[in-house]
Amino acid sequence: MEKIKFEEAMSRLEEILDKLEAGELDLDDSLLLFEEGINLTLFCQQQLQVTEQRMQKLIRKLDGSFELVEVEE
Amino acid sequence: MQPKVLTVSELNKFIGLLLESEPGLQDFWLRGEISGFKLYQQSGHMYFTLKDEESTVSAVIFKSRTRALKFMPENGMEVLARGSISVFNPQGKYQLYVDELQLFGAGSLSLYLQQLKERLEKQGYFNADLKKPIPSFVQKVGVITSQDGAAIQDILKVLRQRHAGIQVIFYHSAVQGMDAPMELAQGLHYLNAWGDMDVIIIGRGGGSWEDLMAFNSEEVVKAIFESRIPVISAVGHETDFTLADWVADVRAATPTQAAQLAAPDLQQLRMEINRSQQRMQAAMEKIYYNRSESLDQLVMKRILKTSGLMQSLQSREDKLQDLTERLLRAANDNLSRRQNQLAMAASGLDKLSPLKVLQRGYAAVRGETGVIRSVQQVSPGDKVQLILADGVLKVKIEDRETGERWKK
Repeated sequence: MEKIKFEEAMSRLEEILDKLEAGELDLDDSLLLFEEGINLTLFCQQQLQVTEQRMQKLIRKLDGSFELVEVEE
Repeated sequence: MQPKVLTVSELNKFIGLLLESEPGLQDFWLRGEISGFKLYQQSGHMYFTLKDEESTVSAVIFKSRTRALKFMPENGMEVLARGSISVFNPQGKYQLYVDELQLFGAGSLSLYLQQLKERLEKQGYFNADLKKPIPSFVQKVGVITSQDGAAIQDILKVLRQRHAGIQVIFYHSAVQGMDAPMELAQGLHYLNAWGDMDVIIIGRGGGSWEDLMAFNSEEVVKAIFESRIPVISAVGHETDFTLADWVADVRAATPTQAAQLAAPDLQQLRMEINRSQQRMQAAMEKIYYNRSESLDQLVMKRILKTSGLMQSLQSREDKLQDLTERLLRAANDNLSRRQNQLAMAASGLDKLSPLKVLQRGYAAVRGETGVIRSVQQVSPGDKVQLILADGVLKVKIEDRETGERWKK
């Protein structure tokens, strides 16, 4: 769950809603979907609550590799 | 002393050597207006005259150099030509051998831009169908601009206001001058190579047209076009477009506006999520409602059909309940497995839940293998769980009775 992106979660949620609203699944499947949907909304809500802003600077080192450096604001 | 006698060829060679040994005439910039421009189709060389109010000088661009030109020279263009002076021996004429040509002044600039724009347009760089959408929930923003300009501060300020959790990955680049196009394009390549950003803002604050020229360079246009990550251009000028604006997925008039476009509208997203929850609740309620309705009807029918069996009504009610439980068990099987998660959600979700059905007096039965749908699934002595609204009963099967008589 942590790995998925907000956008993916939202589009999966939309899929689930479509299926649930069609009402053609049996209870078992409906409930599974429902739970998944609830978890997705919780996940999305959590994502919106992150409050720590970070700024990093992408630097190219002499050997050609990149490095991210934290920037104090 | 007898004057030395030179042949004409010797003279021209001698003068050529003199000119070529003068550092001030080698690899320098000459400003002038193009006239008498000719492109020789066979050789591919370009010949023209550079002039100002009082003087003219011949110039040539060899075919090998014309490929590097960023525009097609035209009479009347004010240009800066970089090159060296030497002598064309056959005619005893000195001329500028041009290595590089740049436009100078606004008139030529807009003409040059028009040409470049048309060419890039033909190549599909501004194709609206190829533009990528900005994600609705941007969490990581790449920013390419100068660390010394106001743009980066403007962008950070807005991002902070709109979404405190946003991550910024900043790449410093010159935004004007000879190095700017290359550095800006590199920034785009690097951020793309680094990956995992939702959107890239590339831009600078306002300036003169010359200041903004890097954002008109073919190099930057191509790099924006090739970016896998959606790009918002943010060149600070309200009215005029740079070519970067044309090619970008979204054009912002200023860095501030770019940040506004990139930052998610949290209010909107919250509403959307809430709406999804409500829809889901409604859908589940409906599903449960439909199931329990049909069950009630079924029960009534069967009771009526089996007149004379009133004495066993109680046991039938038990059976019915059993049926109901089987239906509802599905819910609880899942529910109890992830009770914590549901409990978290419960505050908002109370009314949708199967719990409500359970509160009507139904229970669900769960055995070791899962939901019990049939009496055949259990044997006397088996332990099963009865899931009720407020908890779980662990029970042991005493006896079982098949429900044949319930079949039609």
